[in-house]
Amino acid sequence: MTATTTMPTALDIYESGDAALRVVAQSGDAEANWATVHSLAGWLAAADVEGIHGAVPTYDSVLVEFDPYLLSARQVRAFVLLGMRQLDYTGTAMREPRLFEVPVVYGGDYGPDLDRVAGHQGLDVEDVIARHTAKTYVIRCLGAPAGSPMMDGPDFPVPVPRLKDPRLSVPAGAVSVAGRQAVIAPAVAPGGWCVIGQTPLTVLDAAREPLVPYVPGDELRFYRIPAEDFGNFAGQFLEARP
Amino acid sequence: MTGSLIILQPGHSVVTDLGRTRGPAYGLPVNGALDQYSAKAANILAGNEDNDPLLELTALDFRMRATTDVLIAVAGAPLDLTVGGRRCPEWEPVSVRAGEVVAVRGIRTGLRAYIAVHGSFTVPSLLGSCAPDTVVGFGLKLVEGFRLETRKTTAPVIQPYFGLPLFRLGLTRPVFTADPVIDVTEGPDVAEFGDTADLLFTTKYTVSPRSNHIGLRLGGALPERQLTAEVLSRGVPVGAIEVPSREELLVLHRGRGVTAGYPVLAVVTSHSLDILAQARPGHTITFRKTTVAEATAMHRASCLELGRLRNTIKTVFGLLGIGAGQRWYELSPASGA
Repeated sequence: MTATTTMPTALDIYESGDAALRVVAQSGDAEANWATVHSLAGWLAAADVEGIHGAVPTYDSVLVEFDPYLLSARQVRAFVLLGMRQLDYTGTAMREPRLFEVPVVYGGDYGPDLDRVAGHQGLDVEDVIARHTAKTYVIRCLGAPAGSPMMDGPDFPVPVPRLKDPRLSVPAGAVSVAGRQAVIAPAVAPGGWCVIGQTPLTVLDAAREPLVPYVPGDELRFYRIPAEDFGNFAGQFLEARP
Repeated sequence: MTGSLIILQPGHSVVTDLGRTRGPAYGLPVNGALDQYSAKAANILAGNEDNDPLLELTALDFRMRATTDVLIAVAGAPLDLTVGGRRCPEWEPVSVRAGEVVAVRGIRTGLRAYIAVHGSFTVPSLLGSCAPDTVVGFGLKLVEGFRLETRKTTAPVIQPYFGLPLFRLGLTRPVFTADPVIDVTEGPDVAEFGDTADLLFTTKYTVSPRSNHIGLRLGGALPERQLTAEVLSRGVPVGAIEVPSREELLVLHRGRGVTAGYPVLAVVTSHSLDILAQARPGHTITFRKTTVAEATAMHRASCLELGRLRNTIKTVFGLLGIGAGQRWYELSPASGA
């Protein structure tokens, strides 16, 4: 028999009411934590246990929601630990990421906060756009509202502060930054992030399943288009590059 | 035979069910009936499955006309129900004849009521649920003149003896009050609030008019986070209590965005979420600390109560021939007979 030297993945599991658990990966490495919570969410979805509604993985944590009539928090905790042991043993199968390319009109009415962000960063506007389009982003998780692709932000000198007075309505397709994060708004919603541009592509389609075309782990790049071209993309959906 | 219900006065009404439980994994809120107990009770009383589509009325008066004979049940906040002008009871099956108007007026003490129709409706669904989602723009808009297609016709059930009550179902109805006590369990981030966390249990909070299906906003003394570090976005459960501003406490309900970057101070129990769904602006709320084990026991007790009701209804409706062809059921002899 060979002794295994791999340490089991450390998890903290917190009760979050009578119908959910918060599971936090504690490896000390952000990238490893992210991979852990997403593979755990995938394992739970594949297990398809009656009474477990689903899992919401983000950066270092996954919220596991369940029906408290069918399962108790203790049972779900034991099941999560079982999943983690299996994943530690089998390893995590990562799927090949797909690449999404997103046209963006920056500034003006499309990106009302572009100047503010530039001022705060001590960069000129062109430099902000250059940094925003330079990076290949990894979609970290699907967030609120409605399947937003949450990404680690562009290479800015300092975190971007949120708006003091959040907007009551931000249009679908708004391309925003806040803190060290970047996002596209799939649907009209209130928002406190700085909007620096807008894509003419339709991100979310309630008539299709899945509602949004990407999953966590997929990659995304922004490229700049002139405002005149915005209308040329009307009715087109965001799709992965073939 | 199918028929329809013609909406005469929509008030603030939607067609919903128990929610889109597959939604959160895709970044969509669960939504669905905010008072799950009353919604399940209405469906059970109408001889439906718990999760069948039904009407949720919020605060405002509502009227509709049935084009065929139907059986309905209304549950939730106290209100005045009339069918064809006759006063009818809430929390009981009620027969409606073709052409009659069902009117709900004066929803009071609570905020929401549910109308279930035997056989339910034919409505579009998204990820297995018909619950409206305001962010995605999904869901039926009930406007004046809208025809809601019903799937079954139910001949009127008549009590021939001096109008004695037809049903004695023995269901415990929830108590509605203007100053409910809401049970919460400790949130995963309670330590971040230090000693100020106790304010949650010593303060009387007032429900703000800015409350909705996404969350209730409560005014009162606010616990304060003792740290300033940014919180990574995390999945937040329905019932999470957060302090996002210096003005109000936020209690997330079923329309909540699935992720947020605020620490979770406490979480309202499943049982108390139904009570919160009935809180009106101006009502006073007191929080009480409980444990997950107790909260689970409480939730299961109310599920069992509904289970008993389901069995009773099955027996009664079976004998009346509702939900099956009109025929007589031979009861099996008692054992030992």
